[in-house]
Amino acid sequence: MKFADFVIPEAVRTDLKAEDKPGVIREMVKALEEAGGIDPAETESIIKAILKREELGSTGIGRGVAVPHTKHPSVNRLVGMVGVSQEGVDFNSLDGEKVYLFFLLISPPDRPGDHLRALENISLKLRNETFCRFLKQSKAPKDVVQLLEEADNNQFNA
Amino acid sequence: MRVVVLGAGTVGASIAELLCTHRHEVTVVDHDPECIKRVREELDVRALVGSASQSSVLFQAEVSGADLCLAVTGVDEVNIVAASMAKAMGARRTLARVYSPVFCDLSTFDYQRHFKIDRLLSLEHLSAVELARSIRYPGAMLVEDFARGEVEMQAFALSEEIAALGTPLRELKLPKGVRIGSIHRGEKIWIAGADDQLQLGDHITLIGARDQIDEVKEMFSIQPPPKQRVIIAGGGETGYHLAQLLEGRRFSVSILEWDKARCEFLAAHLPHATVLQTDIRRRQTLEEEQIGRAEVFVACTGDDENNIMACVEARELGAKTCLALINRPDYANVIGKLGIAYAVSPREVIARHVLAFLNTGPVVTRLPLTPDGPIDVLEIEVLPEAPVTQHVLSQAALPPQCLAAAVVRENFAWVPGADDRLQPGDTVVLLADREVFKDIVQAFTPL
Repeated sequence: MKFADFVIPEAVRTDLKAEDKPGVIREMVKALEEAGGIDPAETESIIKAILKREELGSTGIGRGVAVPHTKHPSVNRLVGMVGVSQEGVDFNSLDGEKVYLFFLLISPPDRPGDHLRALENISLKLRNETFCRFLKQSKAPKDVVQLLEEADNNQFNA
Repeated sequence: MRVVVLGAGTVGASIAELLCTHRHEVTVVDHDPECIKRVREELDVRALVGSASQSSVLFQAEVSGADLCLAVTGVDEVNIVAASMAKAMGARRTLARVYSPVFCDLSTFDYQRHFKIDRLLSLEHLSAVELARSIRYPGAMLVEDFARGEVEMQAFALSEEIAALGTPLRELKLPKGVRIGSIHRGEKIWIAGADDQLQLGDHITLIGARDQIDEVKEMFSIQPPPKQRVIIAGGGETGYHLAQLLEGRRFSVSILEWDKARCEFLAAHLPHATVLQTDIRRRQTLEEEQIGRAEVFVACTGDDENNIMACVEARELGAKTCLALINRPDYANVIGKLGIAYAVSPREVIARHVLAFLNTGPVVTRLPLTPDGPIDVLEIEVLPEAPVTQHVLSQAALPPQCLAAAVVRENFAWVPGADDRLQPGDTVVLLADREVFKDIVQAFTPL
C-alpha cells in the first residue's frame, strides 16, 4: 500500500500549533475535516476514538515520530494525513522525546487487512532516516506531498 | 443446550453450576486435577483434565458439537486461542474472557475478528458498568453494555412548563443522534411515536450519546442533579473502568489506591479524577480522606473482606451510599445488614451475559425495561438475508410498537435514524412492546 492510497494532500499540515496530545490530535482531525476527508458530524467521535487508543499505550514510536490511528465506521476508505510540528509535542513517546512528525490514519472497521498494510507501510518507510529527516524539515505541505510521492516510488530505499 | 466451559476457577466453576441448574449439558476442562476433582464432586457435569489450548483436549470435550464454548481460564492468551480453536472446530458460539483492555480495542488490531470469537468479555469492565449504573441512575436502565459506553438510555420526569410540551415529537428539533424511547404517563407506558405529544409530569427515556442527552435535558429544562462526590477504594481494573465511566461534569471522583506505580498510571489516564496513594484498610485513612462527605463510596479492591470492612467504616463515617464488589456468594446474606446498599458480584454479572448467549435464533438478550412494564429491551443479531435488512429502517418490516435504540457495528454504537439500514453482522438494540415480539423475531429471521 502506498501513501497516495490514504494520505489526503489537502489535509497535510507543516505548521501544527498544539502543544499537547489532545490538542494536536484535534488539530490534525480538523485538518482532515477541512480537506473533506471525514464527515464533520463525526469529527468529535473520531477524536475521542483516537484518544481512547492512546490510553492503551502511546503511538509515539520514538525518534520524533507518532502514528495515531483508529478505526471508525463513518469512513468508507482509509484516510490519513501527515502533520509536522516545528516545536514538537509531548506525546508520551517510548523514548520520552518530543514528537515532530505525525502520521494520522483512520480506517473503516471492515477492512482490517488494509489498515494493517497501511500501518506497516508507514513504519517501513519511516525506517529510512533521510526520509524521516526531510519530512520533519518540511516547511510547506507541498514538500511533504512530494516526499511521500518519492517514497511511494521507492526513492528512499535503505 | 451443550456448553463447554474451559477453566474451572471461581468464574468457570460458578458458571458451570449455574448452567447445570438451568439444565444445560455441561463439560468442564481445566489443567489442574484438583480443580477438576472438586468440580466432579460438587457438580453434575462432565469434567476432564487438560490444557484448553490443545486440540486433542478440545476434541475430547466435544467442542465440535457445542452450542456455546466459554473460555474463562485465568490467562487471556489461552482464552483467546482456545475460543478461536473451538469456533474453528465447530462450536456455534464462543466467548473468551479477557482481563487486559487492549484485547477489546480494535484500533491497531482487531482480536475478536481475527480470531473469529463471538465476544471478548472483560469481567472487570462489565462489573464497573454495573456499579456505574447503580450510581448514575438509580432505578433507570442503561443500554451501554452493548458498546463502549457510547450510547446510553436515561429516564427523566418532565417537571417544568416548557415549549416542547404539547408539540408532536416529529416537530421537536432534537439533536441528531438522540431519540425519545418511551413515555410513561400515569399507569401507562408505551414506545414514543412521531405523533405523540409530551405532557407535564410525563416520565420519558432518552437514548443517545451522553453529551447529546445533556443538550436535550437543557432543552427540556431538566435540572441536573448537584455534582456528586464519589470515592472509589481500589484502583484495579474495575475501579479504573468505573472512574472512566463516571468522569465528567456530574461527578467528582477520587480513587484511593495503595500501589504507587498503579497510582501513577491512574493519574496519567484519568485527567479529572483525584488519585490518592493510601491504604484503605486503615480507619485513619478513611477519616483523613473525608469519606464521610462522599455521596457514594465504592469499595472495589480484589478482596471481599476488605471491601466489606471499608464499606462498614465509610458508612459509620457518614458516607451516604456504599457499594461493594463482592465475589463470594456466601456474603450476599450479610451485605444488606451491614448497610451496604448494593453489592455487585462479578460472577453474577458474567453469568447473566453467558445466559444471554443461550437464546436460540437471532435474539441475543431480552430484558424488561421496567420490572412490571410491557416493554422489553432486546438485543438482536442481524443475520444475512434477514427481511429487516432489505430496506432502510423507516421502510423495514418492523411493527410500529418498536423502536431501534442503538445499532452496534464493529464495536461502534449509535442511535440510528430513519434512513439507516441494518447490515448483516450488526447488533441492534430494540425497545419493543411484548405483544409484537413474534413479529420482530420474524423480521430478523433469515428467509
